[in-house]
Amino acid sequence: MTRIRRVTAALLVAGVLGVAAPAAASALTTITISGATASYPLVTLLAAKYNKVHPHKVKFRITQGGAQIGINDVAAGRVSIGDVSRDPLSTDPAGLVFYPVARYGICVITNKANPVTSLTTAQAIAIFTGKTRSWAGIPGASQTGTIDLVSRTSVAGVLTNFQTILLEGKKVSSLAAEEPSEGLMRQQVENDPAAIGFVSNYQSDKNTVHAVGLNGTACNRATVTNGSYTGTARFYEVTKGKATGAASAFIGWIEKSAAAKKIISTQWVPIS
Amino acid sequence: MLERLRAPWSDRRAELTLGAVSLLVGVAVVAMIAFVAVQAWPTLRHNGLSFFGSGGDLKEQFETMQNAGPHPPASAYHFRAWPLIWGTLIVTAPAVLLGIVVAVLSSIFIVELAPVRLRRVVIPVVRLLASVPSVIYGLVGILVVVPFVLEHVISDSDKVALQDTVLLNGTGVGVTIVILTIMITPIMIALICEALLAVPNSWREGAIALGCNPVRAMLAVTVRAARPAIVAAAVLATARALGEAIMVSMVGGATNFAPRISDGLTFFLEPFRSVAAAIVDYHEGIGAPALKSALYTLALLLLFSAFVLSVGGYLIKLPMRKYQVRG
Amino acid sequence: MSTYAPYRRGSRDPLRGARGRRSSPGEWRWSDRLALAAAWGTGLLLCVIAGAIVIYMAFRGVQYLRPAMLVEHTNPSISQAESGGFLDPIEGTALLTLIGLAFVFPLAVCTALWVVEYGRPNWLARIVESAIEIVAGTPDIVLAVFGLALFQLPFMSVFSLKAQGGGVFGRSFIAAGAMLSLIALPPLFAATRDGLLSVPSHMREAAYALGKTKIATIRSVLLPSVRSNIAAGVTLGVSRIIGDTAIIVVLVDSLRVESGSGGPVLSLFKGTGPTLTSYVYDNSPAGEGGAPQKAYAAAFVLMLLVLGLNLLVSRFGRSSADETGLTAAGAVV
Repeated sequence: MTRIRRVTAALLVAGVLGVAAPAAASALTTITISGATASYPLVTLLAAKYNKVHPHKVKFRITQGGAQIGINDVAAGRVSIGDVSRDPLSTDPAGLVFYPVARYGICVITNKANPVTSLTTAQAIAIFTGKTRSWAGIPGASQTGTIDLVSRTSVAGVLTNFQTILLEGKKVSSLAAEEPSEGLMRQQVENDPAAIGFVSNYQSDKNTVHAVGLNGTACNRATVTNGSYTGTARFYEVTKGKATGAASAFIGWIEKSAAAKKIISTQWVPIS
Repeated sequence: MLERLRAPWSDRRAELTLGAVSLLVGVAVVAMIAFVAVQAWPTLRHNGLSFFGSGGDLKEQFETMQNAGPHPPASAYHFRAWPLIWGTLIVTAPAVLLGIVVAVLSSIFIVELAPVRLRRVVIPVVRLLASVPSVIYGLVGILVVVPFVLEHVISDSDKVALQDTVLLNGTGVGVTIVILTIMITPIMIALICEALLAVPNSWREGAIALGCNPVRAMLAVTVRAARPAIVAAAVLATARALGEAIMVSMVGGATNFAPRISDGLTFFLEPFRSVAAAIVDYHEGIGAPALKSALYTLALLLLFSAFVLSVGGYLIKLPMRKYQVRG
Repeated sequence: MSTYAPYRRGSRDPLRGARGRRSSPGEWRWSDRLALAAAWGTGLLLCVIAGAIVIYMAFRGVQYLRPAMLVEHTNPSISQAESGGFLDPIEGTALLTLIGLAFVFPLAVCTALWVVEYGRPNWLARIVESAIEIVAGTPDIVLAVFGLALFQLPFMSVFSLKAQGGGVFGRSFIAAGAMLSLIALPPLFAATRDGLLSVPSHMREAAYALGKTKIATIRSVLLPSVRSNIAAGVTLGVSRIIGDTAIIVVLVDSLRVESGSGGPVLSLFKGTGPTLTSYVYDNSPAGEGGAPQKAYAAAFVLMLLVLGLNLLVSRFGRSSADETGLTAAGAVV
C-alpha cells in the first residue's frame, strides 16, 4: 500500500476505536458538579472517598465557578448537582431542591499583628458599614490607624450570608475592597496590619490570620460544632427536582454514612 | 480522490480554499461580535450613551442588577461605567507608552549592541517571559510587591487624609502600571527584534558606508524601516493591556473608585478596577439577566476599542507604506 | 557632521581596527550619544528585571518542587503533604497545547497566505485582517464566556458531555482548545504575514518566470523561506496558549475523580481536567489559596516546559532556513 493509504487506514482504525470504546466505558455514569469555590475542597474530598468506598460505579467531573453558576447550571440541566454556599433566595429559579450537607462558620478576621479578641454585633456593624473609621476606638485593637475594610464581590455567597447573619441585614460599605475569592481576601488581610475582613472557618483555621470572636464567643470549628457561635451558614447540594439515580445515591451517602461524616468533621461541621 | 488532492492544484482552487479558510476566521469573529452585541442590547437600550458617564455608586448598581431576578424591571438596568473606563485608561496608556520606549530601546540593544553570548541568552528569556501566565504576575504582585508598597511607600498620613473616600492598602494604580508594563514589554521586544532583523543588512551598511555612526544608522535606517512593525507591536500590546483581567483583578485594589489626579502622587496609590477585571470579578453572576447584559456591554466596549485600535494602527501605517521592506 | 574624525598627531593609529576606521562615541553628536546610553541602559535594565523574575521563579520553584510531584496524580486531600503532585495538570497542558496548535496552525497560515498572496476582493482582506486584530484585543475572559455559551448549545454536545439533566456540560478540552486557538491566531498570523511581506518580490518573479503557478510558488519557495517566521509565530502563539488562565479556568478546569484510568483518544478530548495554569490559579490566592508553594512549583515546571518548547521550535525554524539557503530577508546565506 502506498504510504498515504497506510496512514489513512491507521487513522480510521484509531478513530473507530476511539468512538467504540467510550460506548463500553460509559457503563459508568458521570456525575457532573459545578458551583461554589468555598465548598469545592469539601466536595472533592467527598467524591474521592465515595469512589474509594463504591469503586467503579460513577465518574465525577467537578468544576468551580461560583455558587450562582452552580445554581444556573443545575437549573439548565447542564450539571447533575450544584454546590451552593448560601441559603436559597427568592430570585433562584423554581424547582430546585436544596440538600444541606455541612455547616461552616463565618469568622471576622484581622491581621496577626492586630489580635482583637472579640467584637460585639454593634461594633461589627459600625466597622463594616463604615461608621467607625479608625482602630483607635476599638477595645483590644493594637493598631491605631485607619481601618482597611476588605469584603467580597456582591456575587459571593459568603458575603450574602455575612450581611444577613452577622450584620443583621446591613450592607458592607462601598469603601471596602471587593475581593473575588476567599483566598485573595485572606491574602489581603495577611498583608495589611490594619485590615479586617471575613472568611469561612475553613480559611481562618489555617492560622495565618487572627479569627475575631463574636459577642464573646471565639470563632473556630469547635464553637461552630457545639452551637455557641452564632454566625454559621450551610453548604447545600442542589438538584433540579428531587435527586434521582447516581446523584441521589451520592447525596444520600453524604447525608447518612459515617465515612462522609468523618471527612466533613475534619474542617467543617456535619449537619446532625 | 486522494490522487486528485495530490495532483498540482490550480490557482483557482487554491485561492478558493485559502479564501474559504480566511472567510471562516472572519465569519467566526463577526459571529462573536454579533453575539456579544445582542446580549448587550438591553443595557444599552435602557442607559443609552450615559452608560459611559459617571454617577451613583457602582457597587450598589451591581447589587441591584444581580438581585433583580429573572425578569428585571427597567430601573434595574441602571449602570454608569465611568469609574471602570477611567481605571482602564489610567493604567493602559502609561503602561503602553513606557512599554514602547523600553521595547524599542531594548530591541536596539539586543540586535545591535549586546555581545553575542548575551544576545543568545536574552532572546529566549524574553520569549519565556512572554508566556508567563498572568496569574503568576498577579501572584508575585500580591505576595511581594503589594506588601512592599504598603510598608514602605504608603504613609499613615496619606491613609488618614483619604479615609472617608478610599482605602489605601498597597494595591492600586502604581503597582498595576509597573506589572502591566513588565507583562506587555516582552511581546513587543520579541516582535520588534524580528522586525529589526528583517530589514536587509545592506541598507544599514550603506548608511554606515556613507559615514553614519552605527547608532545613527540603526535609528535612521533600520528603526525607521521597521516602523510599521513597531506600530503593529504597539497595537498588539495595547490590546493585551486592555484585556488583562486576572492580574489587574488581583493587584488593582478591587474597588469601584475612580482615582483622582488631583490627589497628586497619591494618585498612584489609589485602588481602582478596570473593565476587564470587572468582567472577571462579576462573571459568576452572569445568570441574572441585568448583570449579564451589563457585563456583555463592557465586553462590547472592549471589542470596540480593539476595533478602533486596529483601524488606528492601519491609518498610522498607511503613510509608512513606502518604507515597506519589499523588493 | 563630525563623524569623520581628522587624523591628529599622537592619536590612535587610525588603521588599528581590522575593518577600517570607526568613530568612537566620543565624537558623535550628543543626541546619538544619548540614544546609545539610553539603549544600553534600557537593555541592561531589561536583563536585570528579566533575570530577577526568572531567578525569583526558579528559586521559589526549586525551593518547593520535589521530583516526586512530577509523576504523582492529584489527590484531593486536606493536608498538602498528601495531596499529590501534578501529573494530571502536566498532561492537561500538553494535550491542550496540541489541540490548540492543531486548530490554529492551518487557520493562521492559510489566512496569512490568502491575505498576502491573493487578497481579492480587497475589502474582504481588510475585514479579515481587522477581524484578527479585534480578536487580538479581546480579553480572554470574553472569549471564555463566549466559548462557554457556544459549547453549551444543544447541538454542540458532541464536543463535551450530555449531563443527566439533559443539558450540555459545555466544558471540555476541545472547547478550550478551540477558544485558545483564537488566542494564538493573531501572533501566528502576524508573524507569517510579516514574513511573507518581507520576501523580496524578485524571488516570486523568478519562480513565475520559470513557469510555476502561484500555489506551487507558495509551496516550494515562499513557505520554506518564512519557516523561521512561522516558528517565531508558533512560539508566541504557544506561549499565549500555555499562559492563558481565564479560558482554561472557565472551560476545562475540573477535577476528574474516577477509579480506573481515563478512556481512549476521543473521550480524552471530550473530557475535562486540570492544566498547569489552572493548577497555579487554584492554588494561588485567586483560587482558594490553599498552597502557594504548589503554585510556585507548578509555575516553575510551566516555565521549564515553555523554555523547552521554545528551544525545540527555534531549532526547527533555524535549521530549515539554513537548509534551503534562504532567510526571510531574502539574502542567500
